[in-house]
Amino acid sequence: MVSKTEEEQVNRLENQVENGGGGAWEYLCLVRKLKLRRADKVLKYGFSVLNDPSKRSALGPEEWTLYEQVAIAAMDCQRLDLAKEFIKVLQRKFPESKRVGRLEAMLLEAKGLWAEAEKAHSSLLEDNQFDQVIHKRRVAMAKAQGNLAVAIEWLNKYLEIFMADHDAWRELAEIYVSLQMYKQAAFCYEELILSQPTVPLYHLAYADVLYTLGGLENLHASKKYYAATIDLTGGKNIRALFGICLCTAAIGQLTKGRNKEDKESLELQSLSALALEKAYKQRSPAKLSLLSSTLRSLKVSL
Amino acid sequence: MGGEVGFEIHQNAYIKLVLHALKHRTSAVNAVLLGRSAGAGSAVEIVESVPLCHSQIGLLPPLEIALIMIEEYYGEKGLSLVGYFHANERCDDFELASVAKNIGDHITRYFPQAALLLLDNKKLESLPKGKDRSPVMQLYIKDASSSWKLVGSDGSNQLAIKEPSANIVLLDCISSKKWQEIIDFDDHLDDISKDWLNSELFK
Repeated sequence: MVSKTEEEQVNRLENQVENGGGGAWEYLCLVRKLKLRRADKVLKYGFSVLNDPSKRSALGPEEWTLYEQVAIAAMDCQRLDLAKEFIKVLQRKFPESKRVGRLEAMLLEAKGLWAEAEKAHSSLLEDNQFDQVIHKRRVAMAKAQGNLAVAIEWLNKYLEIFMADHDAWRELAEIYVSLQMYKQAAFCYEELILSQPTVPLYHLAYADVLYTLGGLENLHASKKYYAATIDLTGGKNIRALFGICLCTAAIGQLTKGRNKEDKESLELQSLSALALEKAYKQRSPAKLSLLSSTLRSLKVSL
Repeated sequence: MGGEVGFEIHQNAYIKLVLHALKHRTSAVNAVLLGRSAGAGSAVEIVESVPLCHSQIGLLPPLEIALIMIEEYYGEKGLSLVGYFHANERCDDFELASVAKNIGDHITRYFPQAALLLLDNKKLESLPKGKDRSPVMQLYIKDASSSWKLVGSDGSNQLAIKEPSANIVLLDCISSKKWQEIIDFDDHLDDISKDWLNSELFK
């Protein structure tokens, strides 16, 4: 999960390196720090750094971290031959290392040798049953084999122990959404909002799930969370602004004028619509008329 | 009914779908298909496609906004929703996800002959090796019992690409990494200056 500025920074560096402007090591560090998945670029740039003896020695002890990063990228790109080479280098430097052991298990995964990978993971867990990375790799393996029910089961077990792992909660929520298990997804986002109430993305995702669940109560709650997102993002989040309009329209449809006009909610909807129009006028003027007719069909009164 | 109700997809619409899937290899993606048909029993022409999402496909809000805007825009051009495209997260997954079926069901309410296309990763993978002109997707249509059935490679109701050299153009786009330029509705919602119409893509 990265912010817009962080993403722009990474893309800028990537362009720079791609066009021969240097900065490969900064790029690789940034990708590692932000935990991005850009395997093809990491493999390309990392490989060129590692193949250059002068660049490699300039890294000092960080050389081994780079070997690890590029090995994983190689596996992601299915360049298992390269991955094996890099892991061999690490094995020679750090024999008996658990961290290298994890890479070896990952290589088995990449080869699709699920049973062997499972054995490798189990033996690593015997030495350290609280190894978070191994637990999560087992979930990833289940997911890769299409065993979503098992992935969910293990992920839930993992979260009983490591309930502060936000990435795991997000992964679980996304698996639930892909299976259309919205109530369970909602629960995950509730946990995330409780532990990190100032992260707007969780409020937004929760609002999206509530809207998808439907029903008057959920729609009202959904509107509140879109409003919270707008609050936390200074009114700049387009999805939340649209969300308000969608909720108000859906609530209006369900109640069909049975309730007395809620001035506040109508005001909220027209404010969101105005914010959307302003944003489109500024940044996407070609689509402004399309936006206006969309808002009209949502019966937004301006 | 009788007669062959085929589906013909235009090259640009076809290529956009595959490029979108290639841009987001680690997640499921979807798209809607726009076109026209002379009526029940006649062929459906898929003229355009709009890539929709590459994350949290099962959520309604982005889908609803996208559908309103897309129908509005293409309605003026005489095109309507005629189908849906889905690519699964895993390359060996050939199951039609329930999300895909649900969205497909929704579209058939307005266009009963709607097509549901599922990316065929195996075909896509072997594309550079052969001279296959058929599209790298599986076609599903709703049968009499209202369930989605895979259309076999024999018989009527085939999906064909309008331009016979489309796969060659597709391979060209892939090797020139054109998939980096494609924009979907998700990208637009994150940054409204991005054009989900992809009007500059094939210029």
